[in-house]
Amino acid sequence: MSPEEPLVRVRNLTKHFPITRGTIFQRKVGAVRAVDGVSFEIGRGETLGIVGETGCGKSTTAKLIMRLLDASAGEIEFDGREITRLQGPALKAVRREMQMIFQDPYSSLNPRKTIGSIIGEPFAIHGLLADRGERKREVQRLMETVGLNPEHYNRYPHEFSGGQRQRIGVARALALGPKLLIADEPVSALDVSIQAQVLNLLRDLQRRLGLTLLFISHDLSVVRYMCDRIAVMRAGKIVELASNEELYGSPRDPYTRELLASVPGVRRDRRTIHG
Amino acid sequence: MTQALGGSDVVLRVEDLRVEFPSEDGVVHAVDGITYEVHSGRTLGIVGESGSGKTVSSLTTLGLTRRQGARVSGRILFEGQDLLTLPEERLRAIRGNEIAMIFQDPLSSLHPLYRVGAQLVEAVCAHRDVSRAKAREHAIELLDLVGIPDPARRVDAYPHEFSGGMRQRAMIAMALANEPKLLIADEPTTALDVTVQAQILALMERLQRELGMAIVFITHDLGVVAEMADEIAVMYAGRIVETASAARVFAAPEHPYTWGLLKSIPRLDAPREQELVPIPGAPPSLIRPPSGCHFHPRCPYAQPDHARVDPALASSLEGEPAADEPGHLVACLLHADVRRRLWRQLAAGDTPEQALVAVGPFQESA
Repeated sequence: MSPEEPLVRVRNLTKHFPITRGTIFQRKVGAVRAVDGVSFEIGRGETLGIVGETGCGKSTTAKLIMRLLDASAGEIEFDGREITRLQGPALKAVRREMQMIFQDPYSSLNPRKTIGSIIGEPFAIHGLLADRGERKREVQRLMETVGLNPEHYNRYPHEFSGGQRQRIGVARALALGPKLLIADEPVSALDVSIQAQVLNLLRDLQRRLGLTLLFISHDLSVVRYMCDRIAVMRAGKIVELASNEELYGSPRDPYTRELLASVPGVRRDRRTIHG
Repeated sequence: MTQALGGSDVVLRVEDLRVEFPSEDGVVHAVDGITYEVHSGRTLGIVGESGSGKTVSSLTTLGLTRRQGARVSGRILFEGQDLLTLPEERLRAIRGNEIAMIFQDPLSSLHPLYRVGAQLVEAVCAHRDVSRAKAREHAIELLDLVGIPDPARRVDAYPHEFSGGMRQRAMIAMALANEPKLLIADEPTTALDVTVQAQILALMERLQRELGMAIVFITHDLGVVAEMADEIAVMYAGRIVETASAARVFAAPEHPYTWGLLKSIPRLDAPREQELVPIPGAPPSLIRPPSGCHFHPRCPYAQPDHARVDPALASSLEGEPAADEPGHLVACLLHADVRRRLWRQLAAGDTPEQALVAVGPFQESA
């Protein structure tokens, strides 16, 4: 396995959700092509962005790579291994190496668990760090890494603001030292003044820990700030995949151009008539 | 500032509005003494984060906080009459008629069991003495006006048959049903995709031009206000901390919170390498807001006395603003000259720390 090999390689990845009619004798009458034959690679240490509008298939793509959904067709290669159809313990082992950060920091943390046990849960699931003291030390180290006060170990999620909760989610995702981090709209539920805290944290962690990041967002400005290369998705397909400079400097696909032209504050065709 | 701006009339004037909600944990000071006005044919953008009071202030304008046990003081003058003292039925005659509102979430604002057309007809019939057939014709016209394809057929659709963008268009159609003089739009495009957002914003601008309405546009999105607003009021912890023309707020902002917002959002027109500078901390509690300047715990430029002294919203311009200029008001204890020097450094790409060093030790203002 050479370090130049990409960490993730996706070939012709496809996910069709069946549309059924009838309640008892369900029959398939069609399919939603949520992801319709996408191919891309994510290099080690790279941040790849997927940008697109509602329903374009960007989150489904992430779930397919995480193996939270089974692909209808195509292949996913992770760290040199074919993982598309792994099951059981082999799948669990791969999942340790890829982690996800979710959009909503309010619903993705169990309100009845302390921060310490939330961040420590991956260790419990994978039977690691059975010693309580050792686990606590590791969790507190993670809390420090993401800029949380380790003394808040015994607090509950409701005692934290949205930005801090997202840090908790990041700490939990980092617990097992994953090779790939998938962030699905990680800041879109946060207040404006807090978004930059989380974006800078992810950027900083990525540089410090050499993480590979798949960053999914509908926000073209955020994607430009975060990503080295960007895939633009529409209706289940990648319409353009280019480096940051190319995509924002000279977008080729008409849809990419339309998206860029739609970003408010960029369109400068303001009316001049007052009153 | 009661003078007509560029020849247009004051449609809404809010004076020293305070809205408080008693709660188990104490009194929530949701809106803490705000004053602003909106002129016909113009758009005031109210910018703020969640909990800044931007939504509560406009709900109060429509009398929608009355039932929630809100304690309200101040005046809300709509064409000269104070909406706060108006009896409920008089207010109901104005609401949805002369003043309309669009909410953020179009799905929860439309009744799922009624056809879109029926809801539009209801909005028309509530305020006008027209036959249902006439109202239905008007509903089709309205759907056409907001760009819904095949309106004669779509008028009989249910909300779930509409896409998010179409629902928001239907909401706009409903708001415009009676050609309001004032439209309050609360995050009207936040739930929408960018391409749809661009269409909705263009639609609102066009309709404003055609109908000459005044718009209060409430949003957290600086890009959207940059595009829509003529004047901007920045709210923080229930107060307006800065207000000026949109051009001025973007070119020469003077409040450290406004700077923080501008520096913490990624922008397509800024160099990519330019680091975002987050505002430290989190928005404050409205039950026990910080002492002195409410922003001081998060302000990199705060001086010791800023924890004690509460800044008033005051003009930062020397002399009177020009007749067609809305003026520039800032609630900040830093000296105006210091603020300008700090912003010059920040605009050139300095971090707050670098800007402080560059500007050097400064005298606290009186």
